[in-house]
Amino acid sequence: MIGLVLRRLVQLPLILAIIYTVTLVLAWKVPGNPLENPEGRRPAPEVVAAMKAQYNLDSFWTFYFSYLDSATGIRYVRQELSGESRLRREQAVAAGRLAPVQPVFDLGPSLSYREQRVNEIIGSALPVSMALGALAIFFALVLGVGAGVIGAMRPNSLADVATLTLSMAGISLPSFVIGAALLLVFPVWLGIGRIPSWGTPLDMILPAFTLSLGFAAYIARLTRMSMIEQLQSDYIRTARAKGVSVRGVVLRHALRNALLPVLSYLGPASALAMTGSFVVERVFAVPGLGQHFVNAVRNKDLFLIIGVVLIFSTFLVLLNLAVDVLYRLVDPRIE
Amino acid sequence: MLRLVVAFLVIVAGLVGTLAVSTPPPRADFTIINGGDPTTLDPIVASWLRDIRLMRCLHEGLVRSDVTKDDLPIEPALAERWEVSADGRVYTFHLRDAAWSDGTPLRSSDFVYAWLRGTLPDSAADYTSFFFHIEGAKEFFDWRAGALAAFVASPAGARSADAAEKLWQQTKSRFHAMVALETPDERTLVVRLTRPVPYFLDICTAVAFVPVCERVVSRYEVVDAATGRVKWDTVWTRASPSIGAMRLESWRFKREMRLAKNPMYWDASNVRIDSMAILSIDDPVSQAMAFQTGAVDWVSDVVAPFRAEMVAGKNAFRAEHAEAVRGLRARGLGPVEIDRALPPDPRKSTQIFPAFGTFFWNLNCAPRLPDGRVNPLADARVRRALALAIDKRAVAEGVRRLGESVAGGLVPPGSIREYAGPAGLGRNPEEARRLLAEAGFANGNNFPTIELLINKEQNNDLVAQAIAKDWERELGLTTAIVVRETKVFREQVKNGNYFTSSASWFGDYPDATTFLEINRTGDGNNDRKYSSKVFDDLMARAENESDGGVRAGLLAEAERVLVEQDLPLIPIFHYVNLNLFNPDGLEGISSNRRSEQQLFRVRMIVGEEAGEKSGGASGVRAVGSGVGSGVGSGVGASRVAGGARRSPRRVSGSRRRVRGAACCVRVRGALRESLFAGACA
Repeated sequence: MIGLVLRRLVQLPLILAIIYTVTLVLAWKVPGNPLENPEGRRPAPEVVAAMKAQYNLDSFWTFYFSYLDSATGIRYVRQELSGESRLRREQAVAAGRLAPVQPVFDLGPSLSYREQRVNEIIGSALPVSMALGALAIFFALVLGVGAGVIGAMRPNSLADVATLTLSMAGISLPSFVIGAALLLVFPVWLGIGRIPSWGTPLDMILPAFTLSLGFAAYIARLTRMSMIEQLQSDYIRTARAKGVSVRGVVLRHALRNALLPVLSYLGPASALAMTGSFVVERVFAVPGLGQHFVNAVRNKDLFLIIGVVLIFSTFLVLLNLAVDVLYRLVDPRIE
Repeated sequence: MLRLVVAFLVIVAGLVGTLAVSTPPPRADFTIINGGDPTTLDPIVASWLRDIRLMRCLHEGLVRSDVTKDDLPIEPALAERWEVSADGRVYTFHLRDAAWSDGTPLRSSDFVYAWLRGTLPDSAADYTSFFFHIEGAKEFFDWRAGALAAFVASPAGARSADAAEKLWQQTKSRFHAMVALETPDERTLVVRLTRPVPYFLDICTAVAFVPVCERVVSRYEVVDAATGRVKWDTVWTRASPSIGAMRLESWRFKREMRLAKNPMYWDASNVRIDSMAILSIDDPVSQAMAFQTGAVDWVSDVVAPFRAEMVAGKNAFRAEHAEAVRGLRARGLGPVEIDRALPPDPRKSTQIFPAFGTFFWNLNCAPRLPDGRVNPLADARVRRALALAIDKRAVAEGVRRLGESVAGGLVPPGSIREYAGPAGLGRNPEEARRLLAEAGFANGNNFPTIELLINKEQNNDLVAQAIAKDWERELGLTTAIVVRETKVFREQVKNGNYFTSSASWFGDYPDATTFLEINRTGDGNNDRKYSSKVFDDLMARAENESDGGVRAGLLAEAERVLVEQDLPLIPIFHYVNLNLFNPDGLEGISSNRRSEQQLFRVRMIVGEEAGEKSGGASGVRAVGSGVGSGVGSGVGASRVAGGARRSPRRVSGSRRRVRGAACCVRVRGALRESLFAGACA
């Protein structure tokens, strides 16, 4: 077990390096100039040249290595060791200025939000998305597993058809429709909740519920399918023959095994949910990370694109690892 | 195991939630949605209208425009008076006894420091060239640019932090020596211009010209040892004291920005709000719903998909009161005042103001098309024919439906003081056919398929279809609409890699040249590759003309050449700005023709006044959050000008339920109905 965890953790930087390279190549090739507004006056060519030089945007390889240098913290360590940062601090103080603050892992400036750094953006947006995502997955588990079990108990019954239909609707309905409908019903008509839906813990419920529906629907189908399979297997019949109640069989024996596919889905689903959703964040005005995935690409904001992609990849790897560990705990057959 | 996962999730949500969630601060006196997040608070970088609106609250210049009047006359701001020398070249500004929000007095050197920042090539921003009106500024810019180039070219060993610092100190003394800015004392600023510039005071209203607090801001200078450039650590904008009516209280990125009244502001007694919150809500539908729940008092730029219906609702409301409106207009009331005098109605909240921008159609004037063929549009007669064939009214009223006015010229009429532009070309298909035949393309024969390049913003596709249809029907041309993603579209247009394309331009300073200069030969924004000696000469003559009236005449003639004779672009309509606010609950949003706002002038109408106005203000606000406004009660006692006493009447519009709303697909339609057609309930 510890071997597995260590192995995965060693693989992580390698995976991130590959993702970084691929993302940068793609982002670099996207047409357009990140230093230009989508409309209006264009900066003079000299200005664009100067800005490109400032951000190392004039050469792919310079950018590639300088970003690695600062994002991995190598630059920070190097400058601390060589005394360069100390010198700079002393010089600033001597000139009556404030010493610039240098983060260890510097993900660079944002090209579209000029007064924010990627570290700050991710730092303020990630906790929001994580909280929202965790709550959404929680909702999804409760709704999904519940619906799945109800359906599996009596396949093709009215309850089963109803839950299946609902989960189909959950998968098909885009969240901007559900989100807008919820906003219209609760804050606008009933006066429950508010827009923007972020600030107090209660505000999280509507966006988390909207976000959970897609996941819940999928979990319901997974649960139902594997539950039906489990309920037909021999050990269930044995348990029933030994006099275990239906309730006991379902909850103690079948559900435990039926949840394995759900568990493996939970890894990527949590990574997806916890790194934010563009639509839900936009509709509910939630200050999460999801909006940056889309906006960064639209603005060709290189630093932000790479920042959010790396964060997402890290989450994906770590949560998949967590699922693997859980798997072993649950199912001793897996080596 | 499920329990394990659930417990884990709850713990994560709880832990992270405490980090991510915080108690929202109490509702501000004035809460707005300002068309997206602020991008910058640096006055020399700001070029977006939404940023500039906030700047007007946080900063103030020597003079400012009086936004309450339609022609935006200049009024004193930080300069209480000024003198202009007989030759019109020397301006002497006498600063008033003003102080920064931290209590330190304003000094004339704060202006010099700010203008140094604005002139430096290091930070070269959009408006650097504005400073070149000052004697020596251009020379200083060139010197510094050269010095920086030399610094970068010098051997690596010579490029130390010390050398960079020395260059910066030298630059500062050079600026004082070269640029004709003098500070005889702490309250006097003398500016000498290269030539008489009749609109110099208008230029001084630009945000790039506001002072910054040198004592604080200079502490954020960062001199780059590798390039010699100086930049300012961007956190300075959040740390600097304010000279304007408001000061920055907090900026929580993508959440909200808070401004508080600056008690040190020289005109603080006229600022009627103590706090202002700028919410970050990007989704246009959510913006409208936030207004409806009463969470916000003003939405600046409404782009909701149902805005045409909002405008229709407003027009219907005005039509129902046509008689009264005529009478009120005759008394000289502005659009908001007229609404205020009419009975309460939720449709009043749709406020349509002219914007300082024009939508037009680019015609590529280059002699050859991108693929090497001869460009038929290089012939001015063909361009004129294309312009004469378009039914602009159909575009504005049939496609856009936002109350935009048909554009003859490029400069929105009435937006520039003392400037009267040409009428432009009307619609004349016969003349268009004659011109096309004269150019050798009778009935569109031999004319290549004319491509209309657009991006998918707003309803550009529908506009393009309307124009293409006119060209096909009236001139017998074949057309093809080409849609590109915005970035690609912009690249293609910039490189002249198109036949014709949609385009728009918003003025960014109060002079006709802000619209006209984009057509000068070699201008960085001349996407049409238009080059006319006549036009360039007129522009050059206007540049050197010191008499305001003569200059306006020259510019108007230049515009006439553009829109009646050469047509490198076909003006289609002038934009409007759609606002959402309740005229019965809010006073002080300006309807001027340049979309300029001084939000610190607003006043919430509450208490007794709102009571007699009924439902409108307090009714909307009471819905939803239920948080009342906390405006000082002293304000409530004064009366709104022009507001007649009326019997209270509740309006149910904002709370009206909509039938059949269970059908999710119709959500937008349903909202539209509840928001803006409420009065018919």
